[in-house]
Amino acid sequence: MIVRDSNGETLDLMPLNVGPSHPATHGCLRFMAAMDGETIVASVEEIGYLHRGFEKMVERGTWQQVVPYTDRLNYCSAIMNNIAFCRAVESMFGVELPERCKVLRVIVNELSRINDHFVCVAAAFQDLGGTTPFMYAFNPREEIMCIWEKLTGARLTNSYARIGGLSRDAYDGFEQDVLAALDSTEKALKDLHACLDRNRIFLDRTVGIGKISAEKAISYGWTGPCLRACGVAADLRKDEPYYDYETYDWEVVVGTQGDCNDRLQVRLAEIEESVKIVRQALKRLTPGPVDIVDPRIRVPAHKLAYQDMEGLIGRFKSVYEGVRVPEGEFYSGSECANGELGFTIVSDGSGHPYRIKVRPPCLTQFAAFHELVEGGQLADSMAVLSGLNIIAGELDR
Amino acid sequence: MDFKELMEKFGGKLDAQAKWDDCVVVSREYLHNVVAFLKDDPSCKMDMLVDIAGVDYLTYPNHEGPRFAISYAFKSLKHPGLRLRLKVLVSESDLKVPTISDLYANANWYEREVFDQFGIVFTGHPDLRRLLNHVEFVGHPLRKDYPAQKRQWLSTNDYLLPELEKRLEALGYWIVKRSKEVETKDNEFLEGSVKE
Repeated sequence: MIVRDSNGETLDLMPLNVGPSHPATHGCLRFMAAMDGETIVASVEEIGYLHRGFEKMVERGTWQQVVPYTDRLNYCSAIMNNIAFCRAVESMFGVELPERCKVLRVIVNELSRINDHFVCVAAAFQDLGGTTPFMYAFNPREEIMCIWEKLTGARLTNSYARIGGLSRDAYDGFEQDVLAALDSTEKALKDLHACLDRNRIFLDRTVGIGKISAEKAISYGWTGPCLRACGVAADLRKDEPYYDYETYDWEVVVGTQGDCNDRLQVRLAEIEESVKIVRQALKRLTPGPVDIVDPRIRVPAHKLAYQDMEGLIGRFKSVYEGVRVPEGEFYSGSECANGELGFTIVSDGSGHPYRIKVRPPCLTQFAAFHELVEGGQLADSMAVLSGLNIIAGELDR
Repeated sequence: MDFKELMEKFGGKLDAQAKWDDCVVVSREYLHNVVAFLKDDPSCKMDMLVDIAGVDYLTYPNHEGPRFAISYAFKSLKHPGLRLRLKVLVSESDLKVPTISDLYANANWYEREVFDQFGIVFTGHPDLRRLLNHVEFVGHPLRKDYPAQKRQWLSTNDYLLPELEKRLEALGYWIVKRSKEVETKDNEFLEGSVKE
């Protein structure tokens, strides 16, 4: 590929294809770069290798059957997606959740965020050639995974939230397990900071790499930790608070440079804030119901279905026909680990969703990928990619 | 803030379907102006385009009016918590909407996705290709008359060199020698490497 640059100099560029199946592309991402030696001159991205037709599939089932599909969006923090979807539908119903449900949702939300950020930082360091931090980060993650196993029966695709409640209440000893996981999270954070903060190799590979200005990031629609790394203190948990997030004592973490190092450090600092939130939430966890009592929204318990005629009818109707979400259109966004996960929902008043459009936080971040890597070296593009935490499951849906 | 008053000068109507958030229906002739206004007006300052969603009302009960709608979701970072949706109705006979990719960088991919899934053409879009579906895919899968069970045989890979050349040109390079398009029946394709 022979090109002439603005100075009239002729360059022989090599087109280099990376992905879709490449160990450093975390799933099925592909980009093609025009290389001048080791330097990326231009790059274009191509997505859709994991497109499963989420939006077409959900139109064929009932509203409750959407929940397991949302697990497969960002599979590093599946419960957050469940909760984001259920929150959108609950807003359309206009119902208020019981206190215990809200507190439990905050706890599992923040534990998922810790999990997701640990995976991101660990994988980013692994891509740069460091194995030790990977192990440090995966120890507390494994403890949280064990909590998921006990709480939901699954490790990865949990489907924990339900429209109008949770699939089940917390088990005996949940609080102790969470506290133990928080302790090892804090220990791992200490180890990770010791590993990263003054590590010459890590800093050389990440500081000033993949820089983006706040204006550009906003124009690209960036949200979540990647936007906050550019110095914009935008967090839906503070700006449009839900589940009483505004009553907890925590801070929105922002970076300064908007480079790869900031994106990873913001994630580590957000883990600290999440630990704070979970510790406060555990104190608020009082016994009580986790589901709302309304057979038109939340399926009555099994016990009621066997003993009570109304319970049986409620169970039958909601399983076979689905809950009837009021007719109308709504957009609802929730702060997930990667940013704002939004659902544009169109309901025709029947038991099946008419149209659900997912707004994945990754899409906007990957759309700006060429801006981040052009002018840098090929090896830097891997650092940038893992710092963005692109999850192909929600990118391609 | 009261968007109804704001939208009077553009002839927008409040959407009756939006019961839980603010949505204004605007005609597509005004769309670009409305979006530019919303982006710059100091009282709303919608500096982030959150989402573009297409809707096909083909099987919607008791639906009257054009078949397709496009819903644009905006939010403001200057005024946290301020959100607005715009809705543009598009009839099947004239599937054209002006692009807003010159105002928001992420509109580029969002519009490509709507084009991919619904076949709505965004006039003035710099690079209107399919985004999620395969380059050989026929039809628009999120239309209600597209059968969900339908299978298609897709064989080739997306050929990205023309896009790479376009990107180089946008960066100010002049292409001396263009790469040759590799057809699926060519030997080069079977060899699996990109040749010039």
